[in-house]
Amino acid sequence: MNESQSTVFVVDDDAAVREALRDLIDSVGLRVELFGSAGEFLQRKLPHLPSCLILDVRLPGKSGFDLQRELAEANISIPIIFITGHGDIPMSVRAMKAGAVEFLAKPFRDQDLLDVIQLALERDRATRQREAEIAALRDCFESLTPREREVLPWVVSGLLNKQIADAIGTSEATVKVHRSQLMRKMGAKSLADLVRMADKMGVPVPKQQP
Amino acid sequence: MLSANPAIEISYDYFEVALSLLIAVSACYVALDLAQRVTAAHGRARIVWLTGGAVALGVGIWSMHFTAMLALHLAVPMAYHWPTVLVSLLIGILSSSFALFVASRKKMGPADALSGSVIMGVGIAGLHYSGMAAMRLAAAIRYNTVLVGVSIVLAIAFSVAALLLAFDLREETRATVPRKFGGALVMGAAISAMHYTGMAAVTFVRSTASPNLSHAVSISSVGTAGIAVVTLIILGQTMFVSSMDRRSALQTLELAREQAKTELARLSRIGTMTHLTASIAHEINQPITAVVTSISAALRWQATQPPNLDEAREAMVRGMEQANRVSEVIGGIRTLLKKASPELRPIDINVVIQDAVALADNELLTSAVTVQTELVADVPAVLGDRIQLQQVMLNLIMNAIDAMSMITDRQRELLIKSAKNPDGLLIQVQDSGKGLDVENVDRIFEPFFTTKPQGIGMGLWISRLIVEGYGGRLWANPRDPHGAVFQIILPKADNVA
Repeated sequence: MNESQSTVFVVDDDAAVREALRDLIDSVGLRVELFGSAGEFLQRKLPHLPSCLILDVRLPGKSGFDLQRELAEANISIPIIFITGHGDIPMSVRAMKAGAVEFLAKPFRDQDLLDVIQLALERDRATRQREAEIAALRDCFESLTPREREVLPWVVSGLLNKQIADAIGTSEATVKVHRSQLMRKMGAKSLADLVRMADKMGVPVPKQQP
Repeated sequence: MLSANPAIEISYDYFEVALSLLIAVSACYVALDLAQRVTAAHGRARIVWLTGGAVALGVGIWSMHFTAMLALHLAVPMAYHWPTVLVSLLIGILSSSFALFVASRKKMGPADALSGSVIMGVGIAGLHYSGMAAMRLAAAIRYNTVLVGVSIVLAIAFSVAALLLAFDLREETRATVPRKFGGALVMGAAISAMHYTGMAAVTFVRSTASPNLSHAVSISSVGTAGIAVVTLIILGQTMFVSSMDRRSALQTLELAREQAKTELARLSRIGTMTHLTASIAHEINQPITAVVTSISAALRWQATQPPNLDEAREAMVRGMEQANRVSEVIGGIRTLLKKASPELRPIDINVVIQDAVALADNELLTSAVTVQTELVADVPAVLGDRIQLQQVMLNLIMNAIDAMSMITDRQRELLIKSAKNPDGLLIQVQDSGKGLDVENVDRIFEPFFTTKPQGIGMGLWISRLIVEGYGGRLWANPRDPHGAVFQIILPKADNVA
């Protein structure tokens, strides 16, 4: 894991708080970028690297919650750590429900923030890895012929070639060819492997014939 | 006309006529005065004032009548049937009390005014003619009906005028002494006109029958003087008591107003404090967060192997700056609270402006700002605390300097004006600085709002609190073509309650 590749974004309207956060995050060797408002942050094109966002709730113009909602709407899944000077329970519930990693009241303990940053980066790393895997599987899936894509769910549901041939109205030999082709294209080593892949991609599994 | 029964020659003693006029005017003055007191009073006090007022006015009109009667000199001896005289007095008091009652009610519609006037007018005429009926003398009294009618109409007309005047003058603010005196003069003249018209309607015809002198008393000139003096004393005392009551009522009012003001100030301060507390919770938290975070970072830099002392030092300096910021915020709040009960004095704002400019002299010089003042010499004095007003002016001047600090392509000019204004006086502080953002024009007066890198956002907020504390206004406009105008309106000293 290359720590310096991970970036912590900070959005807070108070310059002193921003600078202090830079000091702290710098001291543990993470990259940090500072923004004074939600608008400034939205102009930054986010890198394809693990990152997280430390976000003040009270901001001039768009609030922290507004920014959280806009990011969700734009399908940007950066983990968010809220910080606020006057937070209350309803506010923190709202933030957590909308998917925030943590909601910290100012002033916070440095270790608490650093722990949460690690957690958030870990979560983002995992998310990115999962997304990368799914994207790769999708690419493989795209390379299948229409007939192979039709056969795949039946294979995954555990039917024998003969049963599949009956279900889709073709010969057992043809199904056997499709099966070996799609196993190869998907890079599946076993039926269990293929089932796991289908699950990851969310391929619908047809009901098994009686 | 039979020569055996000739009309008796009549003549008037003009001194006593004048005396009757004086009594009439005094009585009317007292009546106008009392209408105010009755209006202002409530409950039992109102009944007492109404009764006292009715007695004073009734006695006054009655006394005027008898003084005027005694000014009349007949060639035959005169006596008065005293029970009838008492009845006439009673009529006078009753009609006066009714009139005072009508004039002191919250509203007086045309119907109220008319019916009140008729009753009062008839009452006065009743007093006059019952007084005439009390006369016992060796003569027959004949009346000219037309003139009697005219006198009654005059009595009613007088009453209309009296009620309208009393109603109009009963407000503390409208009833100046000259106005009341003018009203009393008109009313007294009207009452006298009514009386002497009534007298002109009378012819005394000598009769041989001797008058019925049972229950009759004769009134000498000494008696006249007695009646007049006693009446004037009663009227004088009533006026005195009324003025004392007014003074104490005014003091009570003043006291109540003062209390209301203090209460209002306290409430608005509590309101401000609630607002302020929320702001402080957030705004003190910001620098404290920065302090805590910077110091944590410093500790971490210092704990690395090898320790990075440069980074640690930098983080600690930042922490210290923010700790100072906290103390500035607290200092600002302390100043604000300390100044909660300022000392109010009439202040010449021009002096305050000149003092503030002098205090800012060094800043102005180092910031290359040229100052110009256009002060109107005879601006009204304002009631205020000199130090507080100086603080306001200094805040505005410092703001202007800051707003112009980045300006390089034009002159940095500060113009301070004072001028008279319908509300009191107007102060303008104009600069040629970066101007105001439209979206921030209202926010700049909020606590902790600042557009300056080093500002804490207290100056304009405190300035506005101070100005509003004096019943004034402070606001800002963009200035054409660039810069800003900060304007203050302060009420002049005698407008401040």
